[in-house]
Amino acid sequence: MRLKIQSFIIIVLFFVTLMSCKKETVEFTDSPVIEAYIEPGNYLRVNITRQIPFSSSVQYSADDINNLQITVAYNNLTHVLTPLGNGQYIDSLSAIAAGTHYDLSFTFNKKQVAAYTYIPTKPLSVTQTTTTIAITKQDSTTPKFTGTPPDPITFTWANPDASYYLIYVENIETGTLIPIRSFKNFTPPANRFRKQPVTLNTQDIRSNEFQYYGRHRIILYHVLPDYATLYDQTNTSSQNLTNPSTSITNGYGIFTGLNADTLYVLVKQP
Amino acid sequence: MELKWIKKLLKIKKCILSILCFNLLVTSISAQERQYSFNSPGNVCYFSYVCYSPNNNYSPTKRAFIFVMGKPNETAFETFEKDTLKNLPQFYNYQLVYIPNNGINPIEKFKCVNSFVTLITYNYSYGHNNLFFQINDHTVTESDIKENHLYDIFKTVRINSAKIDTASKALTSMGVMDDFKETEFADDAALREDDKYGTFYTEEEKTNDSIPVALKIQKTYFGPALNFNYTLTGIVKDKATGEALPFSTIQIKGIKNGSLSNADGYFTLLKVPTDTSVLTVQYVGYEKTEIFLTPQTPKKNFLIELNPSAQSFKAVNVVGIREDVVLVNKTDVSTIKMTPKKLEQLPNLGERDVMRSFQLMPGVSASNESSSGLYVRGGTPDQNLVLYDGFTVYQVDHLYGFFSAFNSNALKDVQLYKGGFESKFGGRLSSVTEITSKDGNQKKINAGADVSLLSMNVFAEIPIGNKFSSVVAFRRSYKGPIYDEIFKTFNKNSNSTSSGQGGGGGRRSSQNTTVSSYFYDLNGKFTYRPNSRDIISLSIFNGTDKLDNSSSSSPTSFGSSTSTFSFSSTDLTKYGNVGSSLKWSRKWSDKFYGNTILSYSNYYSDRDRSQQRTLTNTLGETTTTKSGVLENNNLKDYSIKSDYQWDIFKFSQLQFGGFGTYYDIKYTYAQNDTSTILDRTNKAYLVGGYIQSKTKLFGDKVQFLPGIRASYFETTKQYYYEPRASVSISVTKRLTLKGATGKYYQFANRVTREDILTGSKDFWLLSDGASVPVSSSIHYIAGLSYETNNYLFSAEGYYKQLSDLTEYSLRFNPRPSGITYNENFYHGYGFSKGIEFLAQKKSGNLNGWVSYTLGQARNHFDVYSDGYYPANQDVTHEFKIVLLYKYKRFDFSATWIYATGRPYTAPSGAYSIALLDGSTKDYFTVTTKNGLRLPEYHRCDISVNYKLLRGEKGDKKRREIGYIGFSIFNLYNRTNVWYKTYTIQSGSILETNVNYLGITPNLTLSLKLR
Repeated sequence: MRLKIQSFIIIVLFFVTLMSCKKETVEFTDSPVIEAYIEPGNYLRVNITRQIPFSSSVQYSADDINNLQITVAYNNLTHVLTPLGNGQYIDSLSAIAAGTHYDLSFTFNKKQVAAYTYIPTKPLSVTQTTTTIAITKQDSTTPKFTGTPPDPITFTWANPDASYYLIYVENIETGTLIPIRSFKNFTPPANRFRKQPVTLNTQDIRSNEFQYYGRHRIILYHVLPDYATLYDQTNTSSQNLTNPSTSITNGYGIFTGLNADTLYVLVKQP
Repeated sequence: MELKWIKKLLKIKKCILSILCFNLLVTSISAQERQYSFNSPGNVCYFSYVCYSPNNNYSPTKRAFIFVMGKPNETAFETFEKDTLKNLPQFYNYQLVYIPNNGINPIEKFKCVNSFVTLITYNYSYGHNNLFFQINDHTVTESDIKENHLYDIFKTVRINSAKIDTASKALTSMGVMDDFKETEFADDAALREDDKYGTFYTEEEKTNDSIPVALKIQKTYFGPALNFNYTLTGIVKDKATGEALPFSTIQIKGIKNGSLSNADGYFTLLKVPTDTSVLTVQYVGYEKTEIFLTPQTPKKNFLIELNPSAQSFKAVNVVGIREDVVLVNKTDVSTIKMTPKKLEQLPNLGERDVMRSFQLMPGVSASNESSSGLYVRGGTPDQNLVLYDGFTVYQVDHLYGFFSAFNSNALKDVQLYKGGFESKFGGRLSSVTEITSKDGNQKKINAGADVSLLSMNVFAEIPIGNKFSSVVAFRRSYKGPIYDEIFKTFNKNSNSTSSGQGGGGGRRSSQNTTVSSYFYDLNGKFTYRPNSRDIISLSIFNGTDKLDNSSSSSPTSFGSSTSTFSFSSTDLTKYGNVGSSLKWSRKWSDKFYGNTILSYSNYYSDRDRSQQRTLTNTLGETTTTKSGVLENNNLKDYSIKSDYQWDIFKFSQLQFGGFGTYYDIKYTYAQNDTSTILDRTNKAYLVGGYIQSKTKLFGDKVQFLPGIRASYFETTKQYYYEPRASVSISVTKRLTLKGATGKYYQFANRVTREDILTGSKDFWLLSDGASVPVSSSIHYIAGLSYETNNYLFSAEGYYKQLSDLTEYSLRFNPRPSGITYNENFYHGYGFSKGIEFLAQKKSGNLNGWVSYTLGQARNHFDVYSDGYYPANQDVTHEFKIVLLYKYKRFDFSATWIYATGRPYTAPSGAYSIALLDGSTKDYFTVTTKNGLRLPEYHRCDISVNYKLLRGEKGDKKRREIGYIGFSIFNLYNRTNVWYKTYTIQSGSILETNVNYLGITPNLTLSLKLR
């Protein structure tokens, strides 16, 4: 009996020892990162990069990121993209047009990578309540502002299908920018800002959102939901390691169509 | 086999039929002596005898007996008249019995002694050690005594020479005093009333006497059987406390026929062959006891009392007395039984723990210090049904799972069904843990207290009259060293390694952390037995954990010097259980027993892990923002159920019952005070019934248990049928083959919320039929066991198929537009399979077991992977060894556990996307689901207990009143990884191992009245 137990223990210990010898390997899947914003009027350009692994001991696939056979299908035609080097590819055969569907496809790391998108319509019936806004300067040299701030600028557009729209604002003055408020010790803010994507047909820009005086370009983007989710605060929180939900399979990044209209606003002193 | 036995019985019947007719005929009564006749005239053993009690008390129990046989051919009365022993003051409390000296040779002289002594000592419970025999016949020699086995009956047999016989002086000598000295401890029943109750320690004797034999119940009846093939019903109890012993084994010796007592200790043996059969009664932690039935034994309500395993018997006596801490059931498939009485022998981390001890058995994973919940055969803890006195306990963890919520001082019996469980139980996919709490001492008040480096534990057992008993146990942790150690483990990252593109860390500003955490639990049980048929008991359980690791800080200047900023971090988790059950059991008839349980169970968990920022600006305006994780889970379960068992045929027991549960489960999850991610409230009732039949076939060699359970679930408006069956075949006396299969449904599930960065958490949800479907499983089990008196070898293989599993993950967006977090539930399926081996030495000073499990648990969720991936709880190899060694008053034990590391998912890389506004956004990629494995887990624990005894050192038998225990957890200070956390800082990642406990010594002092 004792012999039985002993031999049992020995057998088990043998297995245990055998198992202990197995080395832990870091697992990393080399999947490509695609970046492509497809806008009417331009040629279709795609940028392919690799992820940056957290471990130095990972193995990249043998595929050359600069020499991939990438095809794009639209209007029942399939084109092979021309590599420009540095992961950049272009389809210079025809310009992008609204309403067109694009299917991207290539092989990377023995897997078929695919993505699709379409070009939404250009924003229609776009209006703005004013093209000029007067904002009082506030800093240590001026008395404390006590008056009522100017009315916000309201932008409207047609949105019958409740699709996503995104407003992007950029100061286009050259030279030194004149700030509206004092930044004290803080780093001066950038000359541009954006609003959250909305599915509404209207959005306001309040006077305190502007940081500098001068001419501003307002771009109203008609975007697709996959791009809109990139801006979602909770969802992209690194707490959950959420990756943006896109049309890409076997890869990461963004492959999305968009269409825009441009407007202007002047911010001046009263 | 059976035939042979009956033939033997008939032979005995013929042989001693004549002895039976004991006419207790009083023929004459003189001053104090009484004369009686044994048997009727014509019988070979017909004779007159004389009884004499110097104190004139003729009650036969609790006294020493001296049997006296006179000179050759002397009658009993003559011997009585001549005898001088009766006049000795030392024998004042003895009973003297004079028998005639008939016959020409020793064989004839002594042929009736055995049966005669049996009659005289019927109902006598003072043991062999107090029976003496004085023979005044000088023709008898020492070898005659041995040949006639008189030493089997009497402790001392004295042969007096004629010379001494007449010399009364010699009789008063020390010789006779010593030879016929009363032995008070010879039998428990004869001790002072108080000494009946408790666990005793018998000092090992230096001399080589055979005293311990007396502790076994002796055969007292030698007559023929009067009843054949009858039904015997009764109850099995602890002799010391009167506590009923559930699920004890009662077997008829020599044949396979046997029965298990039910949850209230009642048993029914159908077709007992004769009323002189011998019963073997076993219960873990108690002496295996043989009961010699006699025609006088009650056929109904027969009380069988078992003694707790006495300590330190000599090796020779240990054979047959099971010392095992756990018992693997021979006939039932995949069942393990444990009695908390024996738990103190195992190494522990501050508390004796039932759930922890089950983890040392094969098929139950041991590599998770942070979960008292059981991972049984690749199942998760929520797939294990935990029943405490009939109500379901939904959360069994104390202090991050390092301890179970069950106070072993309040528990009587725990059974674990690892799979293929019967139709009686339902609502879970994997396994069942059935816990029965103590009824409390029914004979004497008892109380006790334990103090360890972790907690204080007190209990009291108070009987009122003989119909009411109660037990209350309370336990509370205090901030001792162990508590601190565990708390620190959970709340501080002890081992940091940074990888990849470097990493930061160590930039914490000073914070004030005020820790106020504790756990406590309270168990109460009140039992009322109005008569021998009914038992009404109320059981209450409340366990609470509060874990607070909050901190606050206010940096002096931040930005402007005129505005103030304060920051407080809350990390408060409060969770617990409140449960109660009211149970009424009734033995309607010998063949019909039932109980009804009304119960309420509530599990709640409040988790607030958030940061509150308060900013007071120059204008004195205060803005407060709160963000983090706010989680609340509240589960209520109102149930009623009735279970009945009906011994319908001699070979078959029908069990059936009905149940109804009303669930009310709430869960909310918020990431800050304004955005609630998930808010669910589900209420529904579940009703149903089951029927199963335990049938024994082919002379009890085959036990077959088919059954079906049917339920109706309100939410889905569907009926669920669960057919199940198990079979065990005793191929030989030692070899048993077993098999089981069955379908199982689960309506309330603990859903895992995947969190790669800070560790996954889980919460209870009720199936809604859509985002959380009703999960189901099918079990297939086959195994065999080989059992000898000292060893048990068993092997069991299992395959479990799981469907409609649910996980919650925020890692994916189900669709690009709009975020509905209710859609982040993902469904999948899976399987687990494996094989378990156990080799156990059940008895002896050195006992224990070795077990090995080879297992595989795989899940398939489309969202994670195209194929099967290892489930979170997957452990490939698990090896455990448990050794227990007894030496005098010391109990030593050691355990060693080895397990393959668990799988985990980790961030594997990062990438950036440039947005339209020119900014870039960083994203992180993760490895394939559970594509990595933690390093293997192994750990050794040791412990030693020293028994504390009451009484003088020289006393032969001393009451055990507690023990001092010292144990070392994780003896060689192995660093076992619990899980990993990741912090992403400016594009690099900081990986931190959260480890389990390192070497942790513990000291326990346990004291009790009895």
